[in-house]
Amino acid sequence: MRRILTPLLAAGLLLAPAAHAENTLTPLHFQSQGPLGSLDIAAAQRGFLVYQSVCSGCHSLNALHYRDLEALGFTPDQAAGIASGIKLPDGTAATLDDTFKAPNLPAATFGGALPPDLSDITAERPHGLHYLFAYLTGFATAPADVTLLPGHYYNTAYPGNQPAMPPALKGNDVTYADGTVATTPQEAADVTTFLSWAADPNLTARHQIGLRAVIFLVFLTILAIATKRKIWREKA
Amino acid sequence: MSTDAKTCPVEAQLPCLAHLRAEYCAPSLAPGAPYLAALPALITGALLFLAASGLVLAVHYDPAHGFASLQYIAHNVNNGWLVRGFHATGTTLVFGAVFLLLFRSLYTRAYRAPGQLAWLISVKLFAFLLLTAYLGYVLTDGAVSYWSLTDAANAAQSLTGIPGLLGTWFFGGPAGPGTLARLLVFHAILALGAVALVFALRSAAKVLAPKATGADAVSFHPAYTAQYFAAFAVFALIFALLVFFAPHFGQNPLNASAANPLIIPAALTPPWYLRPVSAIASVFPGAYGGIFGVIAALAVLAATPWLDRSGPHGRPGTLYRILTVLLALDVLGLGLAYSCPSALSSILVTVTTVWYFLHFLVLTPLVTSLEAE
Amino acid sequence: MAEASGHAVEEGTESRRSFLKILTVSAGAVGLGAVVWPLISALTPDADSLAAAHLIVNVSGIAENTAISVTWGGLPIYIRKLTAQEIADAQAVIPSTLPDPADFTDRVKPGYESFVVVVGLNTGAPCELEGNAPSDTRGPFGGWLCPCDGSVYDPLGRVRGGPARKNLAIPRFVFLNDAQIQFG
Repeated sequence: MRRILTPLLAAGLLLAPAAHAENTLTPLHFQSQGPLGSLDIAAAQRGFLVYQSVCSGCHSLNALHYRDLEALGFTPDQAAGIASGIKLPDGTAATLDDTFKAPNLPAATFGGALPPDLSDITAERPHGLHYLFAYLTGFATAPADVTLLPGHYYNTAYPGNQPAMPPALKGNDVTYADGTVATTPQEAADVTTFLSWAADPNLTARHQIGLRAVIFLVFLTILAIATKRKIWREKA
Repeated sequence: MSTDAKTCPVEAQLPCLAHLRAEYCAPSLAPGAPYLAALPALITGALLFLAASGLVLAVHYDPAHGFASLQYIAHNVNNGWLVRGFHATGTTLVFGAVFLLLFRSLYTRAYRAPGQLAWLISVKLFAFLLLTAYLGYVLTDGAVSYWSLTDAANAAQSLTGIPGLLGTWFFGGPAGPGTLARLLVFHAILALGAVALVFALRSAAKVLAPKATGADAVSFHPAYTAQYFAAFAVFALIFALLVFFAPHFGQNPLNASAANPLIIPAALTPPWYLRPVSAIASVFPGAYGGIFGVIAALAVLAATPWLDRSGPHGRPGTLYRILTVLLALDVLGLGLAYSCPSALSSILVTVTTVWYFLHFLVLTPLVTSLEAE
Repeated sequence: MAEASGHAVEEGTESRRSFLKILTVSAGAVGLGAVVWPLISALTPDADSLAAAHLIVNVSGIAENTAISVTWGGLPIYIRKLTAQEIADAQAVIPSTLPDPADFTDRVKPGYESFVVVVGLNTGAPCELEGNAPSDTRGPFGGWLCPCDGSVYDPLGRVRGGPARKNLAIPRFVFLNDAQIQFG
């Protein structure tokens, strides 16, 4: 755990001047929403810490490699440091080119409802970002008229209201390096940002290239129509 | 543009170049054709682009682990996310162009003589593209398409006679480990067939283009080259807006999960371009209902030149135009109703399907013979 | 005068028109190139292929007088740690007496003389060599032995006897530090 925290702490100190997350919770909005959205790197780093500390015990992230963390603002050395703190099943330390370590849960865990891989989770659920936030903050005590199935918990956002997943975020599960208070909604928003990055790592690039492409194509369309009209006028 | 009468030595050895020059540089076309006449060329360009991006995807795709290999392409291959977006958005644009082409041919009654073969090729192209797109959808190996494939392959097993033989031959037995590899090859072959059909369509469309001679005539280049370039620019603009700002347009988000033989997703909705035909197929009951629905829908569409009872000349009347617009709204309604399954939507699907067949089998002959000269 | 200016105006229009055409066509070419570029770049090696091409092996755990075998570029690569006695014996050999003359310094990297890195395929009849573990048969020179045609090598991978006539190939590699070798 210390091996992960030290490079993250260093990264947090680098970001310290811009630190203390701005209020993205009331109203809930994500920087990546909208046609010109981009990744909130600070939130994604905090979310990675939450994933690594809380979620990685049960949920795999098979599509990511440790070298992908460099896109979250870590230097290659910091990413290598994070990777080397992780022990692979064969006993060796992970390297940058390894995929994220998957938890080896027996098939009978959670009564057979194995925790899904989170690589694409925000793309797999309709309105994924808001759904995920609502799900993570939606664990509650069951109302009187609901009978909980054995091994299930009550959640206001889950379809059917009874996931087999126990409430994972209780507040202050991690200590953020940049000083942000780790309330449950804050942790939920940060891990949602991280998972939305995992599902769509190229969002910022896509919007940037897209803006330039659309401007260029509008320019090209105007040029093309002008050329066509000029040629047709001369032919007539 | 060289206008020398001497034969160019290259063209002497490669006659097709001489034919191209004669076709595109000789003044034989009437001026003033609308922008939408460029649709077959747009479809050709889009199909060739889909072939190129599909080729790059196929280099990295692994039929034994379809979903995992696509995830690998999106995360690890250089610009793999963009190539995958090209292929998905290209499909949306091709179908948008084909729907527009079919609607325009119906609206302007271009299917009448001498355009019947062009119309039949258009409908056949639509059918080829539907099958190609269905196979592409299945190849994504997502939770929804896996079940669509399993249902289709198992249903093909239970059919008898000729449909059973064809179905078993196509799927190669019940859905299993080798099915995706086989369907990948079929996807590529059908796509090549669609490219061949679109070239045939362009050849047939040339017959329908208004001709002119003398001082009024223009050659394809530069008058229509410029117009087609402008049409391509607009097409590319729509493509860029979709691929960069809405890469999952018309897709079912549940299909972004991996195929799971143990869980059936709540809504088995296919991508938007497959929804109208799927909706019609879902209305007919029985084991053969689905196939019958698809074939019937395409058959009545293809039969339009013979269902149209008006004479070979004359502009379409107002009533027919309104009818065609209603048909377009009906198909739109079919797709929308099929998107959100509910009790109301299944009624809406039935109503819109009935209207679809009513339009072709009853209303078209009625209205056209009323408005005939 | 009016004729000349009229002519000039017509020429001006012509060059404006062709300027517009050139601009449009070149913008179109730029757009086409921008669309084709991702397709080409998607076929270049991705990060996993590049990582496999520049494989890093940790050699700190190799015991003296033992060799490990790794696969790189489809080939078996043997990495062997020499004992001090083997180094002294190898340095004493006169290169001109060998079937394929090679000096001690040709076979090892300066500063890391106790490591020998060779491709583990016989240079005679192609065959994987034996002799990595101390308990394997190593032939009379204590290096490697080919079980197919009987060629024998010394601990530096130089051929000493048998049908083979060339020393074992040395792959391209560098020492990143005392513990790591990077191939490629």
